[in-house]
Amino acid sequence: MDTGMTVGEMLKMMRDPLGAPFFPPALQALLVATWVLHIFFVTLALGSSLFAVYAFAQQRSAFALQLGRLAARLTPNALGLGIVTGIAPLLFLQTIYDPLWYTANALTGFWSVGFIFVVMGGYSLAYFFYLRGQHDRRLLFVAVASLVLLFFAGWIMHVLHGVSIRPDRWMGWYMPNGVIDTRGITFHAYNVPRLVFMLPLQAGLSLAVVLQFVAWYLRGRSNEPAFLDWVSELGRKLGLSVSPLYAVTGLAWALSEGPEFGATWVAAPLVALGLALMGWFVWLRGHPQRRAWSVLVWLAGLLVVAVVREALRVASLARFGYSIAEYPYQIDWGSIAVFSVTTLVGVAVITYLALVIYQAHATPDGQISLRVERLGKVATGMLGAWFAFFLLVGLYTLLFLR
Amino acid sequence: MYPFWEGVLIHSTLYVAITSAFHVLVSHLTVAAAWFNLYIERRAVRENREELYQYLKRSALGLLVFAYVFGALAGVGIWQTTTAANPRGISALIHNFVFFWGAEWYMFLIDVVGIMAYYYTFGRVSKQTHLRLAWILALGSTGTLSIIVGILSFKLTPGLWLQTGNTLHGFFNPTFWPQIALRFYFMFAIMAAWALFVATSLPKGFFEREKIIRYAGGIGLLGLIGGVLVWLTMYEPALPEHARAILPSRAIPQPTFPIIYFGLAATFAGLLFAFIAPNRQRRVFALAAMAVMYGAIFGAERTREVLRKPDVIAGYISSNQLLFNDVPARGVQSEENRLSQTGMLGHLPFVPDVDQVAVDPSVTFGNVDQTVAVGRVLVIQQCGSCHSISPQTELNILGVALDLRSQAKLLRMRNLSTVDEIDAYLGAIHGFPYMHPFIGTPQERRALAEYLAAFVNNGAATSVAQAGR
Repeated sequence: MDTGMTVGEMLKMMRDPLGAPFFPPALQALLVATWVLHIFFVTLALGSSLFAVYAFAQQRSAFALQLGRLAARLTPNALGLGIVTGIAPLLFLQTIYDPLWYTANALTGFWSVGFIFVVMGGYSLAYFFYLRGQHDRRLLFVAVASLVLLFFAGWIMHVLHGVSIRPDRWMGWYMPNGVIDTRGITFHAYNVPRLVFMLPLQAGLSLAVVLQFVAWYLRGRSNEPAFLDWVSELGRKLGLSVSPLYAVTGLAWALSEGPEFGATWVAAPLVALGLALMGWFVWLRGHPQRRAWSVLVWLAGLLVVAVVREALRVASLARFGYSIAEYPYQIDWGSIAVFSVTTLVGVAVITYLALVIYQAHATPDGQISLRVERLGKVATGMLGAWFAFFLLVGLYTLLFLR
Repeated sequence: MYPFWEGVLIHSTLYVAITSAFHVLVSHLTVAAAWFNLYIERRAVRENREELYQYLKRSALGLLVFAYVFGALAGVGIWQTTTAANPRGISALIHNFVFFWGAEWYMFLIDVVGIMAYYYTFGRVSKQTHLRLAWILALGSTGTLSIIVGILSFKLTPGLWLQTGNTLHGFFNPTFWPQIALRFYFMFAIMAAWALFVATSLPKGFFEREKIIRYAGGIGLLGLIGGVLVWLTMYEPALPEHARAILPSRAIPQPTFPIIYFGLAATFAGLLFAFIAPNRQRRVFALAAMAVMYGAIFGAERTREVLRKPDVIAGYISSNQLLFNDVPARGVQSEENRLSQTGMLGHLPFVPDVDQVAVDPSVTFGNVDQTVAVGRVLVIQQCGSCHSISPQTELNILGVALDLRSQAKLLRMRNLSTVDEIDAYLGAIHGFPYMHPFIGTPQERRALAEYLAAFVNNGAATSVAQAGR
């Protein structure tokens, strides 16, 4: 480190002196788990966007166009969920990896800020295409532009991550030849195999499993079994084609980044995952009734990727004697109580909402079952009671807490 | 402590301000619109007025497409911009309130899944079930507002937290309740513009159009009046002394207050017009109202942020990202004391020692003196968070530089141009209520003055030269 500190000393000095409010490894687990949901929705948005472009560009079959319309509708919704689910890992990331995340963002400031405008552009164009573009082929460029912007946004996040896990190079990037660069416009670090693995290939797999799910979900409502069979088989073939590429690219990622951080072992789980997914899509041919399980299988696969990704970060930091297990913490029971109570309420309400959406569209008449209605009453009551809880905590703090 | 991103074309903090004002507009709109939709839907169910669902459907689609996703994106945008502009400030908030933010995330998830459920189940579920969804949206969105206000208000009035270090004290701080009341009232004025926008898209002779506009105008007026009353009776009296001193000072650039007053008056007039003459409303009026409110919100939120200057969190961390007070309960020690003894150079990450700083005339206004180059490093650390410290963030449009309190301009305004004058000025800088004292050794202060003198005397010429390059 140019300031006379070692990288490890610098990282420790940069940790926020307030410390974490809970055991850092537990926050690390939450970071990994919540990232799975985020990357699923983000790659689903990319996959559906890609398919919409393909379907409307080719216009080969009525089924492809019909699915293209569904994909165009799915893209902005999946992106919306991707954005919302991205907030949770961002919270935990900042809490235990503050030196890494903040430095990466400051070093790449222009793109860190530009990211939002890029996503807004991609989202707006995706919605515009869904509303207006489906009947006018001349507007295909809107869908293409949306896809390009969304992919670019993913690339920016990839760069931020790449910068964050290379603390030994930060000073050289910040102060090339002894002169501080305050513009933040350079893409300092990226890894092409990792980028291809994370974005286009995972987009293909997310789309593949969702096509399986859609074919299963709509079976009770649609009077077009041929279309649903076609969707299901398309998803299976897509998964079957992408998963070997996924294994190969995973290997390339592991071989290009693993040795840098002294963690070549990550090749094994990545290759195994690709092969296991291939096996799943082969197996599905004889067991189409299990196709809805594809989503859960894929989420488990993404969990493997999340763990590998985290392991590489841990390995990178271990080179400098830095570990989040040593991150200072002070358990903060007050905020943990608020979070825990809100978790109970949140899970109940979101489950209810998801079941309403599910049941309302599963059958032609959209009947909501009595059990779900009962859950709705309870969940809404819990949400109302949350405000009483919040008020009581406030009054307790104001009047009694010293 | 962290690398410094000055910004490109405009200062980094202006990116924060632009994004935040948009987020405030959209997020308040969604909370109030959820309550207004609930009110309308209750009437639709109780009075069996099917026509009202036409409005609700349009409003829900708009909220789904525009408000929730763009609101969320702008919310993430605040993370991104504050992280790039002032990482240590946001870090202090995160390390206090991550679980509160986690709780807010649940509420927000309820909002987003809720608006999807709400919009995509019109006509597919019973009216009672749909009404329940409206309740969930109203409560969930109010939950997000309630939680975020605790974090926002903490920055101005951390209250007992400074002594106890307890996050509950920080969250339920002295301006928490007034600010939540303030936002709760004002949001209905923003909502009224939204309702006007949606209702004017209904056909002109549509049965319920004028009634909805009148409801929205009336509720918006009540919100506006209530908000002003809360400001006068609750919020303003709760402001700390320091904030009262800042309020009339130069720290709040003009024409901030005229813009806010104009925004309030124009919004009042617009809502009154909608209430009195609902049949004469046009979509363009709603768009104009939103534009006016964006300007007023920009001014008001910026004022709220400036009120705690020179700190990010009053009494704890300064805008230049140094801790200047101990918080023994959390084991935190002031950094300013230590750095005043040791000096800045070489004693913080990303603040290099003298011998590591190279001379590059392109960033020192053609100057090849190493002291000026060292001064630039110190200016970046000490001043860059709040001021334009180079032509890089002085976007020039038709001869007007959109800078942020450019140091060169400030010094010229005070007729300070020599190194001695600027050095003496820096030595007394803490006389302003919105400035901290210089941190570092006398030699470092001198180097900083050298850079500023070069900026004052050559900055304009360099700016022109760079623009031409």
